[in-house]
Amino acid sequence: MIEAVNLKKEFRVNEPGEGTFGALKALFSTRKRIIRAVDGVSFAIKRGEFVGYVGENGAGKSTTIKILTGILVPSSGSARVNGIIPYEDRRRNAANIGVVFGQRTQLWWDLPVRESFEMLKAIYRIKPDDFAHMMKKLSSVLDLGPMMIIPVRKLSLGQRMKCDLAASLLHRPGVLFLDEPTIGLDVLAKENIRTFLGEINATEGTTIILTTHDMNDIERLCGRLIMLDRGRVIYDGLTNELKQRFAREKLFEVEFRVRPPSLADVPELEVVEERGSKLSLRFRDGAGGDLAAVIGKLAAKYDVKDVSVREPSVESIVRSIYEKTLSLPPYRADG
Amino acid sequence: MSPALFLKFVEVSFRKEIAYRFDYFVMILNGFIYVFVFTSLWRTVFAAGGGTFGGFTTKSIISYTVVAMVVRISFSMDDGLIPGRVRDGSVSVDLIRPVSFQLMNLAQSVGYSAFHLFARGLPIFVASAWLFGVRVPAEGLPAAIVSLVLAYLLLFLINFTTSLLAFWFVEIFPFTLLKYGLINLLAGGLLPMDFFPTSVRPLLSYLPFQHIFYSPSVILTGRVAPGNAPVILAEQAAWVAAFAVLSAVMWRAGRNKLVIQGG
Repeated sequence: MIEAVNLKKEFRVNEPGEGTFGALKALFSTRKRIIRAVDGVSFAIKRGEFVGYVGENGAGKSTTIKILTGILVPSSGSARVNGIIPYEDRRRNAANIGVVFGQRTQLWWDLPVRESFEMLKAIYRIKPDDFAHMMKKLSSVLDLGPMMIIPVRKLSLGQRMKCDLAASLLHRPGVLFLDEPTIGLDVLAKENIRTFLGEINATEGTTIILTTHDMNDIERLCGRLIMLDRGRVIYDGLTNELKQRFAREKLFEVEFRVRPPSLADVPELEVVEERGSKLSLRFRDGAGGDLAAVIGKLAAKYDVKDVSVREPSVESIVRSIYEKTLSLPPYRADG
Repeated sequence: MSPALFLKFVEVSFRKEIAYRFDYFVMILNGFIYVFVFTSLWRTVFAAGGGTFGGFTTKSIISYTVVAMVVRISFSMDDGLIPGRVRDGSVSVDLIRPVSFQLMNLAQSVGYSAFHLFARGLPIFVASAWLFGVRVPAEGLPAAIVSLVLAYLLLFLINFTTSLLAFWFVEIFPFTLLKYGLINLLAGGLLPMDFFPTSVRPLLSYLPFQHIFYSPSVILTGRVAPGNAPVILAEQAAWVAAFAVLSAVMWRAGRNKLVIQGG
């Protein structure tokens, strides 16, 4: 469905001078810096997948999306969406995809929402029956009714995002690109949009690529995760697998009635942090990850008052990958 | 792009102009002042110079001035649109649409100009024609309409080509200034080509600019013998074709250069 092979995109930027004098100097200098925003990205996405495309600012997420949507032309490598090369056959590709940019609207700023949709109906040559059907469906799920007669510029961010989502789906695209669709939204609006996206993916079979900074989006929606750092893919696999691979990130919060001098009877655990009789523990490197066994052992050997297990959030995993702190030495050799 | 969709883009752009033009009356007044200043100027100059110059009489230079200025006003275009959308990155929204970027911009331009034609050009023409006794001979009208359409396309393509420079250089104001200078001086909107020294006129005839306001205005005011109009139309069409090719080449090349500002 979507295929990227060794995609690269370089931008040439003028080295800006510092201050007024530097800016003047830069006018005459030809010093250029090449930024490689996307540096050899490859992946293949199957029909119906819901893929999270994550990375820090400047990692190359948006640039990849802009290549796949036909906005940017890659410096080298190739991409195909539904068999079409997006940057060579921009218009044909555009007819088959839906795009949402969280940071800007694709609706007509001055037109009432309904008329923006009418424009899209003409642009995508949507048949009247299909249009009526999709309009009805989208406005009931996204609750668009009250917004229809309001000019787009007067909508709140959350309302606008709902309308933008509807706009991207009116022509029933096989692929939906979402570039930070939940940015700036409040918790409730985010949740509504997540529910909606999950439904679209399930009922319409739409292939969805989502870039986001909000790891809750990923955990809720994306079976698969592609992680980008400085233009390169550093992880591509199932979201759950990532969590399992980083089981060591799982924290046991154990509260003891009597604080034991050491935890020698449970050698597979190490101490990460201690606050009085409360210890934060995790699996030692290479110690496997049998949760039930280790908790049983703890309870049998020590006078434990309370145990809770904190699952690593994808966010913390991602952060630790970026910070390259996953192999940090333990806080203390023993309890 | 289907004609219906083209018209939809025209309509949206027209309505946007209506919605934003609170300074409508100021704009009309501004147009009148221009017409008044230049007709007064020529009247004085021609009176002092003996009544004829460069093949014009006092009456015919006033007709030319009114017609050329009304065409100039009606051909108002928003040449900051594309550079603005490149500067703030919203050009990416234009590019995700399954429509031709060129035709979409042409339609938007037509909508914009249509507003200026109806809101300013026609009222100023009607009033000036009545005030100064300007007549447009009917026999030249078919050729004049073709000439106006070609002139409009030429001006649009010159603007579009200049705008595409924004794909290379984010700030293109210097180019825009140069374009304004050339068009104001050499397109015939303010003074007819006949007033240029005979030594530079052959040079000017190799440039596209006179085909923007001068050519349709001389046909409209009947200064061109009916037999000569097709030659002018052919030259106009050739320039339109040349700029269409140039803009297509630049569009292809510019796509590789585009950087989307602001993510």
